[in-house]
Amino acid sequence: MNDAANQILNHDIYDGKAILSLRGLSMRYGAGTPVLEDIDLDIAPGEVFGLIGKSGAGKSTLVRCVNYLLRPTAGDVIFEGKALSSLTNAQLYKARQRMGMIFQQFNLLMQRSVMGNVLFPMEIARWKKADAVGRARELLDLVKLSDKAEAYPSQLSGGQRQRVAIARALALSPRVLLCDEATSALDPETTRGILALLRDINQRLGITILVITHEMPVVESVCHRVAILDESKIAEIGAVGEIFANPRTDATRALVQSSAVAERLLRMIEAKGLTPQEVLRRAGVI
Amino acid sequence: MQGLSSMLAKGMQETLYMVLWSTLLAYAMGLPLGVVLVVTDKNGLRPMRALNTTLGIVINLLRSVPFLILLIALIPVTRAIVGKMVGSTATIVPLTVSAAPFIARLVESSLKEVDAGVIEAARSMGSSPMQIIMKVLLPEARPSLLLGAAIAITTILGYSAMAGIVGGGGLGDIAIRYGYHRYQRDTMLITVALLVVVVQVFQEVGTRIAKKIDKRL
Repeated sequence: MNDAANQILNHDIYDGKAILSLRGLSMRYGAGTPVLEDIDLDIAPGEVFGLIGKSGAGKSTLVRCVNYLLRPTAGDVIFEGKALSSLTNAQLYKARQRMGMIFQQFNLLMQRSVMGNVLFPMEIARWKKADAVGRARELLDLVKLSDKAEAYPSQLSGGQRQRVAIARALALSPRVLLCDEATSALDPETTRGILALLRDINQRLGITILVITHEMPVVESVCHRVAILDESKIAEIGAVGEIFANPRTDATRALVQSSAVAERLLRMIEAKGLTPQEVLRRAGVI
Repeated sequence: MQGLSSMLAKGMQETLYMVLWSTLLAYAMGLPLGVVLVVTDKNGLRPMRALNTTLGIVINLLRSVPFLILLIALIPVTRAIVGKMVGSTATIVPLTVSAAPFIARLVESSLKEVDAGVIEAARSMGSSPMQIIMKVLLPEARPSLLLGAAIAITTILGYSAMAGIVGGGGLGDIAIRYGYHRYQRDTMLITVALLVVVVQVFQEVGTRIAKKIDKRL
């Protein structure tokens, strides 16, 4: 982590050097109840920031507001010092090219090869073909999929698909990487691999990462700071260790507790060599 | 026998001429219209309610007019474009007008199969709506579009046979003139058999290519 990130660790609201800020962000669909209410958030350059909450808390909506895939109904998103609301469409497309994004379901182009998928954002940005191919090879090397360049997504495992998606998201050297439940469709071991890759990307390339998840271990494993989203508001925000050691709100306590139960179960499973199915059967769940 | 086979060969040639040109021209209109239907949909890339609704109504209207009626109603238009109202070339006009709205719907349904997540990913990478259409919607829907094309071409083939009633030429014309009006049953059966074969070939080829180019396994 760089100085700016270290500095920000000690503040809830940042003093102006944030790479990404949300100001009074609210979102509602139609006339329904708000999904997000008055969210303020500052993310420092170089940090890995976690956003955790139960399903339905508004996490996915929030991350889509960050790059204006959804336009917030009130408030501002400030990226590299500019409010996204002030940009023309063409400027917004350029801004999005500086924010990569990966998804729970990977969202690869199924009719394009791995190489074709990684080339896609560079075609969008109108790179020269030769430059783009060179860059794509570098990226496939980074995610350790050089040997799969000609394969199609349908021939890959979930973890490999997410690696392709990561290579694709990094193609245009974004300043920020948005991860929307990026490991939620993966098994624990693959999840560890993807999280290690994200840590590596953060440390080696200095890319700021915003991690959206409902899984505590994900936050504990990669994030420096975390915000807990509960009922469309931010309940708590701070350094990961501190928040989980001394939860100040019920929402955080509930999260920590359910995670602790899950962890104990996992340890039992590992210690006794039981399969998850067996554990569930013994507990009378199935 | 010599006479019959050369007549059938000419009929086949006329049928293919009508069907292929009509399909091509109908796609030139139907494909963009299908794209517009998807893009202006309320969940589309550029929702435009008025345009979407109007276009939908026009397409439904055209699709509900029976082909035979359209064939006759369009005679002035056909004459203005082609210069005559009978023959294979003249039949291309009503065939095209009749198939274009049908194709627009086929294209619409193919494009709507494209995973919304993939479109979202393309948007997150800063793609403009036009880039999404050209680089995501159409290529990702390619196998489904091809299957649609096989359906379109066989449907147009069926319509082209009806054109025989107004002297449109082709195999359908032969079946009606010789088989139906002159009670030459053999001629009719052979002609119909030929039409069956053509439909089978187009459908089979379409299905096979679609399967071959689809990378989803």
